[in-house]
Amino acid sequence: MRFIVLVVAALVTAGASLAAHHSAIQFDFTNSKAVTGVVKKFIAINPHMQLVLHVKDEKGERDIEFEGHSTNNMYRAGYRDNMIKVGDTITVYIAPLKDGSDGGYVTAAMTANGTRFGMRSRAELEQERLKAEGKK
Amino acid sequence: MAAAALALSLFGSIDARAQQPDFTGVWTTYNEPGAAGGGGRGGGPPLPMTDAAKQKVAKYQALVQPTGDTPGGYCLGTGMPGSMLGSGGYPMEIQQRPEQIMIVYEAHSEIRRVYLGNRIVPEADRLPGRNGHSSGRWDGNTLVVETSNLVEQVDQRYAHGPKAKIVERYHLEKDAKGETVLVADMTLTDPEFYTAPVTAVKKWAKVPNGHLLPYECAEENWIKHLEQLENKAAGKR
Repeated sequence: MRFIVLVVAALVTAGASLAAHHSAIQFDFTNSKAVTGVVKKFIAINPHMQLVLHVKDEKGERDIEFEGHSTNNMYRAGYRDNMIKVGDTITVYIAPLKDGSDGGYVTAAMTANGTRFGMRSRAELEQERLKAEGKK
Repeated sequence: MAAAALALSLFGSIDARAQQPDFTGVWTTYNEPGAAGGGGRGGGPPLPMTDAAKQKVAKYQALVQPTGDTPGGYCLGTGMPGSMLGSGGYPMEIQQRPEQIMIVYEAHSEIRRVYLGNRIVPEADRLPGRNGHSSGRWDGNTLVVETSNLVEQVDQRYAHGPKAKIVERYHLEKDAKGETVLVADMTLTDPEFYTAPVTAVKKWAKVPNGHLLPYECAEENWIKHLEQLENKAAGKR
């Protein structure tokens, strides 16, 4: 399993070139959530990757739309062409929407074959630290 | 005699050029050892803005802060000096020729052309823009770039008016590990916006065999527009 570490918070807030997209104020970057589903749509473009997952969870079965980092940022964090295809079951790591509705900002993903790419969010790093210390 | 003078002049010119550093390559933000990285943008002490400039910036901020809108959100390049100071996370590429230096910032595929010698566009023939017109000259091993013909921009940290002048002084140096670092010392002067010159330093590290990636910012909007057209054609709302 490959994982290239970048800190997402820095990428989102570190200045014009990286934040030079539409506003991300609707996302809660202090939180990280994993969502697993089947890929219905995936477009690797800039400034934001586009993704629709078919998800089954306690709320039921539905399609959820996500967006994520730019393809260029993801490329430098391990993404390569054809890693994600329609029909794949993948897990995405997201900064959820602040209002609690479905969707979020994808900061990293685990592909169907177990390859992970993307960045660790501050929330994820904190969760990993707490887990390592046996506090969570 | 004339031939000797010509040869001296020619070889003198070649010799001077040989001393000039070559900035060609792909560069990313240089992180000072032990520092958080980045540099050259954001934070720091308040800028010495004139009251008129403060009012313009405040008016702009009041407009965009509720939504967090940015020029980049509408696929607009950053413009100087933000394009230069913000480059690195998305790297920049420099291609250097004696008469022209091309700088491509990956984000928004923003391009600056630094003209030297006879390539410098006469003042009367320049059009203003967010990256202005950049003239270059060599001061020993330092490339001095003077940028003018800018437009008013209150949408970046270093807000400025159309009469702003930006001087960048680029040189190479080695860090403690012996790695090559590209350094730009910037001075922005604009009496309409600032009561004193504003300075900043930006550093980049070389990306060995680096490549810039394509960046078509408007593609997302075009795809969404096509989807709307398809839905409309299918009778969906």
